Amino acid sequence: MGQIEWAMWANEQALATGLILLTGGIVGVAGQFKDWQFAAYGIAAGVFICLLEYPRGKRKNKGTSIERMGQRYLTICVKAFGPLTRNYFVRAGLHAVLSIPGGFMLPTVLGCVCVAIASLIYLLAAIRGEQWEPIMPQVESKQRPGESMKEPPSNPPPRLPAELRRKRQEDAAYVNPIPISVNSV
Amino acid sequence: MRLNMAWKSWISNECGKHLLLLLWLAVNVWLFWKTFILYYSGPQYYYLHRMLGLGLCISRASASVLNLNCSLVLLPVCRTLLAFLRGSQKVASRKARRLLDKSKTFHAACGVTVCIFSDPTAAVSAGVSQMLVLEKESAPRRVVHVAAHMVNILNFSARYSEDFPSLNVAHYKGEDPRLIIFTTVPGVTGILMVLILFLMFTASSYSIRVSNYDIFWYTHNLFIVFYILLLLHVAGGALKYQSNVEAHRPGCFSPNKTLQVRRLKPEPLPESHLERSHEDFLKPQPHVEDNFGNVCKEEPHFKSHFPETWLWVSGPLCLYCAERLYRYFRNSRPVTIVSVTSLPCDVIEVRMVKKDFKARPGQYIVLQCPSISTFESHPFTLTVEYLIQLSTGLEILAVCFIRKRNIQCPTEKRTTFGVHLRVLGDWTKQFKELLLSKSTPDSEILPIVQQRRYPTLYIDGPFGSPSEEVFNYEVSLCVAGGIGVTPFASVLHTLLDEWRHFKLRRLYLIWVCREIQSFYWFADLLCALHQKLWQENRPDYLNIKLYLSRTDGIQNLIGDRYRALNSRLIIGRPRWKLLFEEISKCNRQKNVGVFCCGPKKISKTLHKLSNSTSSSGTTFEYNKESFS
Repeated sequence: MGQIEWAMWANEQALATGLILLTGGIVGVAGQFKDWQFAAYGIAAGVFICLLEYPRGKRKNKGTSIERMGQRYLTICVKAFGPLTRNYFVRAGLHAVLSIPGGFMLPTVLGCVCVAIASLIYLLAAIRGEQWEPIMPQVESKQRPGESMKEPPSNPPPRLPAELRRKRQEDAAYVNPIPISVNSV
Repeated sequence: MRLNMAWKSWISNECGKHLLLLLWLAVNVWLFWKTFILYYSGPQYYYLHRMLGLGLCISRASASVLNLNCSLVLLPVCRTLLAFLRGSQKVASRKARRLLDKSKTFHAACGVTVCIFSDPTAAVSAGVSQMLVLEKESAPRRVVHVAAHMVNILNFSARYSEDFPSLNVAHYKGEDPRLIIFTTVPGVTGILMVLILFLMFTASSYSIRVSNYDIFWYTHNLFIVFYILLLLHVAGGALKYQSNVEAHRPGCFSPNKTLQVRRLKPEPLPESHLERSHEDFLKPQPHVEDNFGNVCKEEPHFKSHFPETWLWVSGPLCLYCAERLYRYFRNSRPVTIVSVTSLPCDVIEVRMVKKDFKARPGQYIVLQCPSISTFESHPFTLTVEYLIQLSTGLEILAVCFIRKRNIQCPTEKRTTFGVHLRVLGDWTKQFKELLLSKSTPDSEILPIVQQRRYPTLYIDGPFGSPSEEVFNYEVSLCVAGGIGVTPFASVLHTLLDEWRHFKLRRLYLIWVCREIQSFYWFADLLCALHQKLWQENRPDYLNIKLYLSRTDGIQNLIGDRYRALNSRLIIGRPRWKLLFEEISKCNRQKNVGVFCCGPKKISKTLHKLSNSTSSSGTTFEYNKESFS
């Protein structure tokens, strides 16, 4: 099985569940049902879970971590809670507690079950020692290699001094009838 | 003129798949509408409709869309079938085969549709029923009718009909809807199905597939459970239709039961209506136009539907099961590893033989090694495939003695094929260790019988990929990034054997690598092909451009025989726009196939450039390999 990072999957699940709870809660409240307080709770819990789970954590093992769009600000907020958000045991417990009131009313029952599943996966992640690490923006330090067409050289190539450039008489394969001056190459 | 050219490029690249998408959407919308209308105004559903309201129509309509998509979602994953369709060039045109490249996207679209149409049905519940329990008559006015099977369940509870007991699912009026869900077969299977969909959907996001492919793979295999539950879910027969519409016209006048029938009107009546005279009340409702006034001849009989979903789903399900069985039997025999070569930059080449193995250049296989992991399997593109024939036993002996490595000598007509693997993750790392660590101490001549103990290896495939189309264009541009050159390597091997009888007239190969050592993987192949084409007087057939994107370090291929490659080696990243312009100038009015196997950024740039105009009338058709 290798190195599976369960926390990533739990994170996706929890985000989806937050939306499901939110939807169920909205329907419950809009229809003004008997136990509408539970539906209102569903809305609040849904929003809270969405905000908590939106910033993705950094991948532990290797590879690049893919950020969600605009998660930088929420990362700062979630990071501020320190060990409460870093530790996955806390998150698992939190989700388990959040799921209980959802079970009392039909619109939020599905959200309740899904949050419970997410809580279980977080528990598994926590047992395996995973932690939430924030993805902080990196400074662009590496230099990209240039493109293949380079500028033409601005300086002439280095040349030997003029005396050494002159061809020696005895090396010539052909002797010129007209003598050549020093400065001609 | 430029606008024309822009349209032409875009149409040839994007038109086919957008048309297909539109067609699929149109079919979905039509199905939804048709079913909605059927339940809204069909006479056989009259009583059911009055009991359950608009929720019935919406939920049945979404169920029919679910039927369609649950059956379509299986088709793009029948990979052997797709590979067969790709290969049968007489059956489908090149444009149709290009659509097969998008099979994964189509599968994802159908899957998302299944989730969308089933989640709200379960996630939204109507405390409708709870409200109806309290305020029986005026409830329909204020209720939010949302598509929900749960709406129906709750309506079954609230509007428990004493008149037509056989229509009911609830056991008594005001039964707790949660009890209905968890004690009936459709209820339990429905909830379980939604949970399975939830698990599958959350594990299929791009980030999970990139980081932990295992989670995605194992949860996706829950689809078997999903389909079993689906078949059971519709067998419950909760919704019934009236089977004797002729004898008992809905809404007919039944002298004994007048009062109750009138009370169960589903449409909200405006307040003023109640104050009107008695005659208005007797006015016929829109959907029972001329029925009122008829006398009922007999009681209405209700029957459960034949589960329509079985008809929809059974076809693709049988096809998929047949394919899996075929693949299982085909792959039950392990391959024999012939040789393993270690190449620079963490690449190993593995050559194998298997009986009756046939593959086309550009196809890929999936390797599975039980000694590393029972369930993991990884795809690799074939880089070489050739038929070898050794006629006499003596030749076999000679070959075995001359080579320093040990090979298992193949018999007469076996296909040897090979893959290049890049060692990147733990599976490939373990595979490399298993293959390379068992080396015996060096000796000049190895006895024949001593066999290197390679691990057993099973393969699945070969499966098709877009690179097979390289030969079907007159001019092809192949762009490879790093190890992505493997599909084109198999193309080059095929050209080395025989290049004349293909439609291909000119091939541009752009290979971008980070390190100079990577070019050694196929340097010999490139030089050999280049040499052969020059000898046979076709110097313009193969145009190689090698790019080295890292500017420090050694910048030349060492060796005199690589002179042809060194002169085509450029330091820096390619400038795609200039390359495209150059190619279009040299190939006016031609259709150039662009094939890319590399990082996403390059792929996006090429796609954009292929869609844009070119002044020389050349169109670029973009074909992309996808490996996630």
